[in-house]
Order: sequence, then C-alpha cells, then structure tokens
Amino acid sequence: MHPFLNRRGFLGHTATGLGGIALAHLLGQDRASGASPIRPNIQPSNPNAPRAPHFQARAKRVLMIFCSGAVSQIDTFDYKPELIKRHGQPMPGAEGLVTFQGQQGNLTKSPWEFRPRGQSGKMISDLVPHLGALADEMCFIHSLTGKTNTHGPGENFMGTGFTLDGFPSMGAWATYALGSENDELPAYVAVPDPRGAPQSAGNFWGPGFLPAAFQGTDFNATQPLRNLSRPSAFSPATDRATREFLASLNRHHLERFPGDSELAARISSYELAARMQLSVPEVADLSSEPAHILKMYGADAAGNPVQDLKAAYARNCILARRLVEKGVRFVQVFNGAYQTGGEGVSNWDGHKALEPQYVKHGEVMDQPTAALLADLKQRGLLADTLVVWCTEFGRMPTFQKGASGRDHNPSGFTAWLAGAGVKKGFSYGATDEFGYKAVENVATVYDFHATILDVLGLNHEQLSFYHNGIERRLTDVHGKVIREMLV
Amino acid sequence: MSSLRPADLLRLLPLLGVFLTPVAARAESPEVDFYQKSVRPILEEHCFDCHGPEKQKNKLRFDTTLGILKGGESGEPLLLPGHSVDSYLLKRVTSTNPKDKMPPKGDRLHPAQVEILRRWIDAGAELPGAKEAAGELRIKTDHWSFQPVRRPNPPARDGRFGNNAIDGFVLSKLREQGLVPSPKADPRTLVRRLYLVMHGMPPTPAEVEGFVSDTGADAWERLVDRVLASPRYGERWARHWMDVVRYADTDGFERNVERKSAYPYRDYLIESFNADKPYNLFVKEQLAGDMLGVDRATGFLVAGPYDSVKSSDTNLTLMQRQEELADMVNTTGTAFLGLTMGCARCHNHKFDPILQKDYYAMQAVFAGVQMGERPLREMRDPAQAGVLEALKLSESRQKAELEALKKKAALVPDALPEQIVGGRPPVSAMRNEDGFEPVETMAVRFTILGNSGAEVCLDELEVFDTEGKNVALALHGGKASASGTLPGYAIHQLEHLNDGKFGNAHSWISNTKGSSWVQIDFPAKVRVGKVVWGRDREGRLTDRLAMHYKIEAASEPGQWKQVSSSEGRRAGTAAQGANSFLAKLSPGDAAVAKKLQEELLSLRGRIAAGEHSAWVGKFMAEPVRTHRLYRGEPLQKREVVAPDALSVLGTLALDVDATDAQRRMAFAEWVVSEANPLTARVLVNRLWHYVFGNGLVDTPSDLGLNGSRPTHPELLDWLADEFVRGGWSIKQMQRQLLLSATFQQGSAPRPEAEKRDADGRLLWRYTPRRLEAEAIRDSMLAVSGALDLKMGGAGFYLMDVVRENVRHYFPKETYTPEEYRRMVYLFRVRAAQDGVFGAFDCPDGGSVMAKRSRSNTPLQALNLFNSTFVGGQGELLQKRLQDESGSQSAEQVQLAFRLFYARPPDAYELERSQAFIGEHGLLSFVRALYNTSEFLFIF
Repeated sequence: MHPFLNRRGFLGHTATGLGGIALAHLLGQDRASGASPIRPNIQPSNPNAPRAPHFQARAKRVLMIFCSGAVSQIDTFDYKPELIKRHGQPMPGAEGLVTFQGQQGNLTKSPWEFRPRGQSGKMISDLVPHLGALADEMCFIHSLTGKTNTHGPGENFMGTGFTLDGFPSMGAWATYALGSENDELPAYVAVPDPRGAPQSAGNFWGPGFLPAAFQGTDFNATQPLRNLSRPSAFSPATDRATREFLASLNRHHLERFPGDSELAARISSYELAARMQLSVPEVADLSSEPAHILKMYGADAAGNPVQDLKAAYARNCILARRLVEKGVRFVQVFNGAYQTGGEGVSNWDGHKALEPQYVKHGEVMDQPTAALLADLKQRGLLADTLVVWCTEFGRMPTFQKGASGRDHNPSGFTAWLAGAGVKKGFSYGATDEFGYKAVENVATVYDFHATILDVLGLNHEQLSFYHNGIERRLTDVHGKVIREMLV
Repeated sequence: MSSLRPADLLRLLPLLGVFLTPVAARAESPEVDFYQKSVRPILEEHCFDCHGPEKQKNKLRFDTTLGILKGGESGEPLLLPGHSVDSYLLKRVTSTNPKDKMPPKGDRLHPAQVEILRRWIDAGAELPGAKEAAGELRIKTDHWSFQPVRRPNPPARDGRFGNNAIDGFVLSKLREQGLVPSPKADPRTLVRRLYLVMHGMPPTPAEVEGFVSDTGADAWERLVDRVLASPRYGERWARHWMDVVRYADTDGFERNVERKSAYPYRDYLIESFNADKPYNLFVKEQLAGDMLGVDRATGFLVAGPYDSVKSSDTNLTLMQRQEELADMVNTTGTAFLGLTMGCARCHNHKFDPILQKDYYAMQAVFAGVQMGERPLREMRDPAQAGVLEALKLSESRQKAELEALKKKAALVPDALPEQIVGGRPPVSAMRNEDGFEPVETMAVRFTILGNSGAEVCLDELEVFDTEGKNVALALHGGKASASGTLPGYAIHQLEHLNDGKFGNAHSWISNTKGSSWVQIDFPAKVRVGKVVWGRDREGRLTDRLAMHYKIEAASEPGQWKQVSSSEGRRAGTAAQGANSFLAKLSPGDAAVAKKLQEELLSLRGRIAAGEHSAWVGKFMAEPVRTHRLYRGEPLQKREVVAPDALSVLGTLALDVDATDAQRRMAFAEWVVSEANPLTARVLVNRLWHYVFGNGLVDTPSDLGLNGSRPTHPELLDWLADEFVRGGWSIKQMQRQLLLSATFQQGSAPRPEAEKRDADGRLLWRYTPRRLEAEAIRDSMLAVSGALDLKMGGAGFYLMDVVRENVRHYFPKETYTPEEYRRMVYLFRVRAAQDGVFGAFDCPDGGSVMAKRSRSNTPLQALNLFNSTFVGGQGELLQKRLQDESGSQSAEQVQLAFRLFYARPPDAYELERSQAFIGEHGLLSFVRALYNTSEFLFIF
C-alpha cells in the first residue's frame, strides 16, 4: 500500500506490485461506477522523481498564498453597493443570529472605498490597491463556503480538505502524485510568515498519513532550513571525507544485500542532502536581487514595526518566486501567523478593531503579494504556474454587537486564482446583496481543491491513498471541478 | 418526527433491519391487495427504472418486498407505517429541492398518486410476503473476517525447517509457490534482531557475547524469555499501542494546549505490557476501567484530539461533539475490531456489513463519555481522604465569597474613557518606566506580587544611573539573581534578564505562579533613578505580565527600601482580562478578592494533586439519547438508537436509556466475547505486523472487504485460536512467533525468490526494514551510554513551549540529560514534529496509525548528519569509546562496531576505519557510524 516501502523497486517495471493490483481489483468489483485510484509509480530510490499527471496539465506547479485569520471579503474583493446603502441598519433576517463569538450588530460598510480596476473594471477596495491593479490577471471566486467557523479546523479544511487533524496537505498530495522537477531542492516548500506558523501549524504542510517524503519543508527568508549547515566542529574537508567514509561503509554493507533498493536509496538520499546543502542556501540568498526588485516587492521598507514586517514578508515573497523559478512543485507562502498578542494583531482575525488592524495587514500583504504576481508574469512563469490566494473563511457584513470588527463567516467568502489554466479578469459566483451568504454558483472548499488539482492534470477522485481501510482523497467524497473558471 | 413518541420509535426499529417483527401481512389482506393494485404500479411507473430489477441505484430496489424493507444506502427507512408525513419515500417524491426530489428527472408523481402512497403508509404500509422477507432482512455477510475462528490442523513440518506449528503453515505456502525458506541467520544477527524488534534498542556487547557463547540447546529460548521479561519490552510495545490509539500529550486543533495529565494512561500501557495483562482484560479496562478498578485505563477513550475552542454557535457545538464521538467510535472500530466504522457515519457502509444504525449504536455506547480529567481512584491514598474533603469544603466556601465580590463589582458602571485621568499609565506588556528620586545603592530588587496568569516573565530589567547608563547590564558588571527560574527552557534563563536583548526569546520566567523576585547586584555602589522593564519588548506576547510589583534598593546589604511600585498605575484593559473586575472594587475588597484568587489557585492545585486527576475522560451517568443522523448532519435527527454491538455480530440488548456504565461494560464484554471473531484476529495480526514488519493481513486496521486478504488465512486463524486458548497472553503468542524457524531465517536477498515474491510476504526470508523514529533515537542514546532508563511519570519535552491562549511549539536545538530518556516518554505534541526525528514518519496522534510509512528523505540525512542532537551524542560516544577501550583506534573501532552492529568489524572495515580516525579523528568516525544503514535497520 505504501508503494515505496516495498522491495519491488529493483524489478522496475513491476513497481505497482502485486499487492496494489490485487487491491485495485478488489476495489474494482465494488466500485464499478466510481473512478478507480491511479497509483503514482514511486521509485523507492527517488520518491520525488517527476511523474506524469493523469491527463494533460495546465500548470506544472502551484504557488499558494494563504492569509491566516480569515480575511474579510467585505473589505477587499467582494463589492456590495447594497451594504454601503444600508450601512448602520440591521441585517434583514439576522435577528437572533448567533455566529462564532455571539450576536450581531448592524450592517457595516467597509471603511475602505471600492474603485473599478483594470480593463475589467473589477471593484476592489483601497485596502489592497497594488493587488487591485492586477485585477485583470485574477480569476475570483466569491461563493466559497466552508464547514466550520473556527480557525484551526478552518485552516485544516483549506489546507487538507478535512476539518480534523491528521490529513495530508494539498501540497503533499500534489508531490505524492507528481514528484518534483528539481532534484536539488525539496519538492514542496512552505514559507511561514515572519511572525510564525499559522493557526493549524504543521498540518498545513504536513504529510498526514502520506509518507514523510511528501511533507513540505518549511523555511523562509529569515529562518533557514534546520540542520542544513555543517556543524562548526567539522572542517569542510573533514565533512566531505566523513560523507565519503560513510558511503564506503554503506556500500560495503550493501554487498551483503545486493540489489536492495531501500538501502541503495539511503545512499542516494545522502547525495541529495549534500546537493541541498548548496542549493538551499543559494535559493534563499537574496543578495543577488537587484535594488529595483527589492523595491518592487517592498523589501526595502523600514522605519517602523509595520514596515519592518512588510519588508520581511516581501523577502519571503521574493524567496517564493526564486523557488518557483527553480521548478519547486508546490510553494506555500503564509501571510499572518498564530493568534499572537491578541485577536487580529498578528493575523486577519479582525473581531473587535478591524480598521486599525487591517490598515497594518493590508500594508504588509498588498504590495509584496502583488509584486510576486507581477514578477512571475514578467518572467513568463505564469504560463505554467497556478497562483492561489486564499484564506480559511470570510467575515460578516455586520459588526459584532458592541464591537468594531467582524465575526467569522464560512457561508460565503472569496479567493482568487491566477496564471496557468485559469481565466483572466473573471469572477465566478456571488454572495447575497450584503456579502453574507453565497447564493450564486455556490461552491465548496472541496470544489476549489478539485479545481486546483485539475489544473495540475490530476483527477481528484482518482488521486487517493489507502489509509485505515479507506481510499482517502484530498476532497473526501465530495468536490466538483469548477470548469467555468478554467480556460 | 417531532410528532412521534419514543415508544413509537422503538416500535419502528424493526424496519432498521435487526430484530424485525414484521407488520402482520396476511396473503390476502385488503391492505396488501391495495398495495398490489394501486401502489406497486406507481412505483413501477416512476421508480423501477433506477431502483428495480435492472438497476439498483444506491442499492435500492422497489420491485421486491425485501428491497423496500431494506431501503437504500442512505440508511433511511423508506416507510414509517402509520406516519406518512415522516416517511422518507414521501419526503423524496414530494420534495421540491432539485437535489432531493424523486424522480430526479422526468415527470413528478401526480398528486393523486402521492395521495395513494400516503393512504397506504398511514394504513400500515403492508407488503406481500413481509414476514418471509423479515427473515432475510437480518444483515449477513460471508466475508472471511466475520466468520467464526476455526482452528485448522497445522500442516506437517519439515525436519530441517520447523520449530513449531507456525513453520508448518509457512512452509506449506512456500512450497505451493515453489519456494524454499532461507537458512538460519547467524547468532549475532539474531540477537540484534530480537532486541531491536522486542525492545527497540540494540543488545549490549555483553548480552551479545553471552548468547553467542551459550552452547545450550535451549539458548535461544532462554534469550527470548529474558528479553520478554525486561521492562524495556513494555516500553517498546506500549509505544506501538500508542500509535494504534492515537495517543498524544496535547489537544491538537487550534489551541493545542498541553495535556499534562495524559501520561498515567501511558504508564498503564507500559505496566500492562510488562505484566502480560491478558488482552481481553486489557481491552475491557480501556473501555470500562472505571468499573474494574483501573481509572487510568480509560485514557484510551479520550486520547484523541480535542477542539477546545467553543463558540456561541450551537451548530458548531453540536458538530464538535459529533467529531469527538466519531473519534471514539472510529478508534474503537479500528483498534479492536479492525473495521472502518467511520464509513457508516453518513450512510450504510459501502463495503462492510455495517449499517448506518450500527455506527450510531456504537456512538450511543460512548454518549456518556466527555473529554476531560477525572480522579484516579487507584492512586489515591485513603489516609488523605479527610484532608481532601476539608480542602474541597474550603474551595467551595472561598469560591462563593469571590463570586459575591464579582457580583458587587458588576454593579459598578464601566468607567468612561474620559474619566480615566491622572495616575500613571497602566502596566504595559512592552515597556514600563519607574522613575524615582535617585538613590545610592548596592542592589535593586524587583518583586512581583501579582501577575496576569501563569509564571511571570520579564524580558529585560534595566536600571539607569543618573547619567543614563544601564548599570544592570551583565556587560557593565550587573549580576542577576532570582527567587527561581522555570526549568527546561534555554530561552527563559536568568541570564537573559540583563543581557541587553529584548523579546520573549531572551527572557526570564519564574518557576512559580505566585510571588517571586529578581535582583541585580552592582559591582560597586551606583546612584540610580530609573528602572525600565517589560514582558516582551517586541510586542508579540502579553501574557505572564507583572501587574502588581514593588521595586526596592539597598544602600547596604539587607537594608531594602522601596523606591517604586505599581501603586498609582491605572488599571489596564485588555491585558488584565478576567481580572478587570478588581479595578471596580474598593481597595479593601480588591485586596480580599486577590487573596481569595491566590488561595483558590493553591487549593485547586492541592485538590488536583490529592485526587490524582488525569486526562482519562469524564462520565455522565445518564447519557443523552443518541439519534441516527441523516447524512451524518447534526441537525437532521432521526430515530433514537439504543447502544449496541454491530448487528451482524449480535446485540447487547440494552435499552435506549441504559446508564453509561451499563453501555460501556456490555460493549466491552461483547468486544472480547466468543460472538466476536474479529478481536483476536486483529490483535494477532498486529503482533505479526510488529514482529515481521508486515501483517499477514497487510492492512492491520481493516479486516473488512476493503482491506487486504490474509496471505496465510489458516495460520491467522490458528494463531487467533491459540491466542484465546492461551488465555489471551500476548507474551505467550510473541514467544511462539520468536521461537519459530520463520523468525530466525536469514535476511539476505535471493533473486529467484524475489522474482516470485518481491515483498517477502510469503516469508522466504526475514525482510530487513528501517527502524522507527523512536527506536533510532533510543538506539543512539543506548550506544552513546547517555540513555536514562527512568521509567514512568510525566514526559520530557523536545519542544520549547510558548504559552498564550494558543500554544506555540518550537523544536529544541540544545539538549540536556533530561531529554535522554526513551522516546516513549516524549511529551508528544500534535501538529508539530521534533526537529530531528519527526522526519522519520513519526505520527503525531492526529489519527490512528496502525502502520507507519518508512520513507527515505534527504531531510532525514541532514538531521542525522548535522543536528546538534546527534552531534552531542557523538561527543558522548567518543568519550565512552576513549574511556572503555583506551586510546588505540583499533580497540575503539572494535568496541564501536560491537555497540552499533553487535559484531566485530571485518578486515576492510577495521583498516578503513583506523585510517579515517587517523586522518579525521574519532568524533567524525562516530558521526559516520550514526548514519550507517546497518545501524538504522533491522536485518
């Protein structure tokens, strides 16, 4: 079931193995109607070797920007004139409505003006003007719905397709299916926010029950990859000699187990590790970036804590671009961390004081993220990279009773895609007149995931892994590809 | 459904398929006649195309009485006789929702036709041949794992290969495939294999030599018995079981708070394995230990993740409870029964004979179980009972007094912002200044009298002289001391108090939640006039804040004089949180309230300690009733379901209102009863999996239709029978596996056998495999000599914890001997992985992990080659080699090979190693050894 734990690799052509065939056959009997799993042909000696998708892919890789804390659609991308008109009035039908933290106050328009942007004239708020300028590149979905209104489960859901802990992240699924096109860098890199990990911590880039080979490796422009550098006790020459000595002991031992693929794979993993020791610092070293690029991202910002943070996040965005350039299969950039220092301080969880908090979050997120998108475009990388911008759920069009911020709202929220495979300057689905509930082309997070996999050339119903008696999928037993968003 | 009384529901239960007492159906009753003439034609016209003789979408068919009574996969009964309005059939044919309406396409039923269905159902929904169909209705299966265990006769053994019955089964299967077993492994390989498999650590050189030189015919048998009797055995096998029961020491989810009292369950597991507790009792205790004198054992029920973020939204709360119960049902299903119960949560199981009703019947078994702590009665000292009672009495009295003061405060209106004038600014988590009339002093003391919760934290204490120089800095000779420092955190040491570095990562935390102090002594008398301090100058953290404090200076040793304090500061707002009521009380009342709070905290600590409360779950004597939920939706309640076993394997015959104790006890008895052939099969297969690296069924948590078939079905049944006959003794079963010739085979590959059976499933050799994360770490500590064999109790941390409302965990990078215990004692954090061993497929307890992956990644290589942990062990090992074998590299290499591989080096290895040590030193040599395949694998 774990193809590359088994010693079949040396037979090469039978890599799917008897067990796999027998199981598929067994399942086939009861699933005549359902799609049968397509098992990636994983070589034990190189689990991240590139693998073909299920069908012609539109994108080779994914860059995901995840904003932790639940970004308000009301204050960014979901323009609602009716909300502005009825500002200060109770929301009809919301008498006695109880959301995550309690009761609702009145409808409250965004403190930021909306303006038409680009050729498409998409209405986007002044909180994110740099992103607004790129509206013609984006493919919005305004009708996403989630299953929970708590951050941890919500981030699990967006990250892994399940609200519970313990399931593989989307990037783990993608690398499990497709491997990597770069043999010197991890196939899957997570770039945490300078302030720390997101609410759901390691679940977002964890392997769940998939083999650890497919977990995301987390590092950012400030925090280098753990255990990457040579311990200072050893000189470079000794380090190299030790590696050679180790290899000679391992090869000598292997003579007693000729052809053992797992043992041979260990020897080659040390070679890859040695290459990573050179390639990871190189990709994370931004010193070769010219001043105009640093400026474009806002990496030169300084002068107060918000600007410092913006610069740090901007450097993460530049790192993400460099990873994409190197062909890393799945890159995740995080904006916002755990709830640290109080609600909404270090992420988008604006319950009580939305405006003063969002001013800072917008300043930090907007320019660097927009520069990342624009930079990918100018380098031609959008042709085969899918960019995903998302958050765990949305927020209410009302302010919370007795507060100046918005409560959680999984009934209708916004995300956008850009780049390979998706329409440009397009909006799919809609929430009601206030931006509260999805009413038109209502979509689920499962649909969103199915669509992303489809762009990668993967059928979400056939990308599965057998665990505890169940063929597990990113999309559980749900999901429908949103064809309308694709070119 | 609301119109039905419970009695009606019970009457309707038969339709769910278990103990059906059919509505009387005489062949020629007018109602049956009505069905034949009027109802069936409607069904034929509208339904048969998809649910008839040709097609049975969702396994539903209307053309037979049995089909109608069974219903479809949704688990919904189609008909509630006498209640057309609640009948699923009527709901679907009258629905206007495009997702629900039936038929989905084409003409709707004519209103007159709907009326006919309505009349028929209200009159009793009689069907022809209902009585006969009822007999067929009981769920049945011919799937192998549900059949009774039958003990087969072991095939004849071969004189050359056959120590016991196991070998007969294995040999006959090999012969069927034209294969032969491998020759016996050499003694050194065998003894190392045995220790790694059974203890998760290599044997010591003395243990190896003892066995190798033992020429007795029963040398192996005696070695096996010694290994089974060692306490290291229980630690190894408890760790396996912890995978199966998704054990971890934090809640998981968003807050991921520590469960500091989860470990008693782990201790129970280790003790149970070491004592060879009969498995049937082991199972019963974990489900109902509170009734068997073992409160610790029910840690099983609540070992899973817990979402402690509660909301005012009732839907969310209902869903959270459903998820908690699902975790218990699923874990019970996979751990003991090898079944995927979760598949039946929303509809009847698509593969296995499990009805949706069965899922909710098992959920009802656990309906009285709540996440949380409970006193461990078996740990309690009876002599202390009186003391405990007195403490509880004081607690309730003081609580009442405090509540009264809170009520008093609630009557005082909130201060308006403009009224807050004058006074000094409130205490800030970031930075506070305390200026005072300059004094000559030898030392400055900062005493914390009250804080915002948990042990107090200061990131820096600056003392400025009249020229504006920070004289507290260590750099300027300031010497810090404190009442105590929280142990175990490199980032929270006393030296950070005056190191000039700000932020949580360079801060001091007190070892007590109560009053504490820090002090700076100056090398010579200085004239100071200002103290500046904060909790986190970087502004990230606001907890652990000193709220009430005093600052003193001493012009001569011991002559303390107060120079400043928190007096006169305004009450804070957000940072104070729960304590904001204090500001509204008169100073006298506030002082009383604060005192009460402190006393309550201490009282509660003493009560908890006296009761030995632990994370083993709480029980409601009378659980709320369980309903079947349509599509698993908490708001779509259907009929009440009684707690029960799987209907395919019998019934507990409990009432819907059975007590929690009755439920869990009856269920536990059923799990290990003769009626249930799954339990023994599942367990012997697990034992096989851990001993041989792969189970006879290689899906150890699914023996259902979706799982694999056993490679050796007769052997599996023989083992299961032998296991039960042997009094469910795990050690006796393992002894048989270990004594078999099958276990003692060599592990070398053989091309002709690999062509037929690459994975070695037919057992033509002992297949090598990589060790698990825990065994690798334990082995490293064992060979370096650093291993601390202290057993039991609270775990050690490989994470630094930052405690806020949510917890942050950062992998440690420096280690002390406190972390040199066996990894089973690791304080295991959900959704976070140790920086070194997490990369070795180490589960985090998010879900049951019955079979770990064994991946191979460059991160593993980096972690073993470069981490400070392995580096530190290398230094210890280097010292050990020097101490125990002297300064000659030949002897050092000899000892190292014996420690690592249970064998001496061969000529090539010795020569190559000596040359390498000569050139690059012993430390580099041991660094390489820690990374060798031979060390990290079982062969």
